Amino acid sequence: MLDKSTRRDFLKRSATVATGALILPQIIPSTALGMGGKLPPSDRIVMGAIGVGSQGTGNMREFLKFNQVQFVSVCDVDAKHATNAKGMADKTYKNTDCRTYGDYREFLEKEKLDAVTIALPDHWHGLIYTAAANKKLDVYGEKPICRTIKDGQTIVNAVEKNKIIWQTGSWQRSQSNFHHAVELVRNGRIGKIKHIEVGLPNGNKGIGTPPVKEVPAELNWEMWLGPALKVPYRGVSHWDWRWILDYSGGQLTDWAGHHIDIANWGAELEHTGPIEISGEGVYPRDGIFNVPVEYDFLCKYANGIEMRVANSARLVHGGGATWYGEKGWINVDRGRIEASDPKILQEVIGPNEIQIYKSNNHYQNFLDCIKSREETITPIQVAYRAISVALLGEIAMTTGKKIQWDPAKEEIIGNPAASRLLSRPYRQPWSLPTI
Amino acid sequence: MKKQYLIVLIFAGLLTIFNACQKGTAYKALIVTGQNNHNWKSSSPILQQVLEQTGLFTAEIAKSPEKGGDMNTFNPDFSKYSVIVIDYNGDSWSEKTKTAFVDYVNNGGGVVVYHAGDNTFPEWKEYNLMIGLGGWGDRNEKDGPYMYYRHDSLIVDSSAGRGGNHGKRHEFEIKARNTEHPIIKGLPQRWIHGADELYAQLRGPGKNMEILASAYSDTAKGGTGRDEPLLMALSYGKGRIFHTALGHADEDGGPALECVGFITTFQRGAEWAASGKVTQKVPYDFPTMTGSSLRPDFKELTLEGDLAKIAQYDITKSTKYFSDLQSRIRYEAKTPADFQIFEKQMIKVLESADASDDGKKLLIREISWMGSELSIPVLQELAKREQLKDVAEFALARLQPAK
Repeated sequence: MLDKSTRRDFLKRSATVATGALILPQIIPSTALGMGGKLPPSDRIVMGAIGVGSQGTGNMREFLKFNQVQFVSVCDVDAKHATNAKGMADKTYKNTDCRTYGDYREFLEKEKLDAVTIALPDHWHGLIYTAAANKKLDVYGEKPICRTIKDGQTIVNAVEKNKIIWQTGSWQRSQSNFHHAVELVRNGRIGKIKHIEVGLPNGNKGIGTPPVKEVPAELNWEMWLGPALKVPYRGVSHWDWRWILDYSGGQLTDWAGHHIDIANWGAELEHTGPIEISGEGVYPRDGIFNVPVEYDFLCKYANGIEMRVANSARLVHGGGATWYGEKGWINVDRGRIEASDPKILQEVIGPNEIQIYKSNNHYQNFLDCIKSREETITPIQVAYRAISVALLGEIAMTTGKKIQWDPAKEEIIGNPAASRLLSRPYRQPWSLPTI
Repeated sequence: MKKQYLIVLIFAGLLTIFNACQKGTAYKALIVTGQNNHNWKSSSPILQQVLEQTGLFTAEIAKSPEKGGDMNTFNPDFSKYSVIVIDYNGDSWSEKTKTAFVDYVNNGGGVVVYHAGDNTFPEWKEYNLMIGLGGWGDRNEKDGPYMYYRHDSLIVDSSAGRGGNHGKRHEFEIKARNTEHPIIKGLPQRWIHGADELYAQLRGPGKNMEILASAYSDTAKGGTGRDEPLLMALSYGKGRIFHTALGHADEDGGPALECVGFITTFQRGAEWAASGKVTQKVPYDFPTMTGSSLRPDFKELTLEGDLAKIAQYDITKSTKYFSDLQSRIRYEAKTPADFQIFEKQMIKVLESADASDDGKKLLIREISWMGSELSIPVLQELAKREQLKDVAEFALARLQPAK
């Protein structure tokens, strides 16, 4: 991997040089400047993608807009997905060069990449995020970053140990209304925070128990399941895996990386966790979808703040993050920011006040950080703390018990049954590495 | 010390006897029926059964004369009861009976108006004040406004038009509108109701009325395109009235009555009407927004019944018995010792040669977190079997983390 870090250093160096005068001789032959004003190879970020379903191709489409990115390969357990994604890259570059893979191990072994964008069902995150980090690839990883606390701890360790740049797909951070809300809250415009409400989407519909079906030829079902327990194929894989506990915690864990993350950002809870979690979920009574369809739990923090997380129908402000301070409240959701007094929203943050990390484009932020080696707007540690809240809520609802959590040691206190839910054992031959 | 202990024991014994006497005799209910454009011969005994299974009610049925009969002979003594259930849609009662009913409610009696019970007596003003909203029987703008929701706002609409309507029978989502009312508190905010007539365009005085739940009447099913009130709580004098527009009965009951959502709200509504409070817990098989939940025999599930069904489970069957077991573990087990009470019963199924592998797989997943060392021998045994190896190893990895 030596050549890789050298290459990075070069990327960084040339970025620095570009801002000054051109002192070094231009060593890249002009013939390397591709068609359409492409950057020379040394400035390009060579990328691949693992998981190119709806979210994966959505991310790829954004990265393909950047001249500095060169997409060279894609990987998916569904061959149709891979072919489709290759088509996107090839169309952009007007060639047929994009390589396709069905097994991420081969993909990581053979491809020489700078960065990878990963969008997979949550039960695969532990293994593949860790494997990509161990290959010293910079990662744009979809939220939630893990299915279990243990997966999350392993991923955080892998990212830190390998010193890679990590960006989480928590793109709301790069939207002006969320930034504005957080900046107002952090600068005390509603006073000291007393409590927070986080409204996430209401649950999904049921589909009952669909019959077992033949696995389509293009889908490697065994690989799709991977570390999860083996179950027959019922036509539920893409997208609808979200409603099955083996792979996801439902809307709650899907959206934790958005509104819980924003709530943490505003209340400076990004690097800690609750000390007590309690609540109830409403679970489907029948059928293969088994994630909670309604949920409502309360997290208490050591500093006295309480955060209620619930499906939006249960909350006065509906969806989004709402901070309640001593002087008022601010609610922020997609396309919206509201406050107890509209004047709060007109407040200007002065140059001597707290300035919040600013990004106008979540993908650009990742690419900039690959070059600068600075932290992205959503580094792995804060993404882990956001999903932890949802996963602990899930454990409180599953067990029906009040959970005591040590956010520093990251352990459940005095409840062995609940502690077992901090991990999901992997099916042979898969195992989560210890890092 | 010993003497004190004995006194405590005697006192506890007396308390048990006292409680036993109380049980089942807390409230008396009278189901008034005998005429209806609906299957009252099937619905009234079901309502009786459903009320009595709460352990709070003894329920009797009062049959009126047949249609066109001498209504002067119909004089139930309402004052003997805590709640009167109206499963009646027919000839007017005698003035004497009407007066007795109004007096009963005025003096604090409880009433449950059931389905077509809101069709009857269009001309009787006091009755319409009690039910709040009604339909059919030539009800129109003279009887009061329509009430419905638009974008979650209650609309009181005095426009001219018929009162009462419904489209085709179908399953629909019910939305709780007043989640703090004792009848609704603790229920899911939305649930799918068993196939039923969705009453629409009800109109009436709507006074002293709280709408507890509504449902969208879909035009695709012949409905109004409005969100229509279906569960209401009212007061009249000192009396309380619970009005459920749900529960259309077939000859053998049918899905609207089998629906756990109907049964539960009916039971809770009756207790509230009788007493002003609700002490019943929400059953674990209450439906959610993902699908309806029916009880073909109107009986609550039991742990033994759940385990028997799980033992026969295969992957094409309903998982509702397993969901019920999960809820029992979640809400009834408070301590590790409680977990073991469940675990021991689950182990019996795991050890049974007759129980299915699919059923065992469900139980092993649950045992993986709530189980103990008690399960390890049977899991080790099952791990030797190809069919159960993965899931048994999954559970063993959680129960024996050191390994």
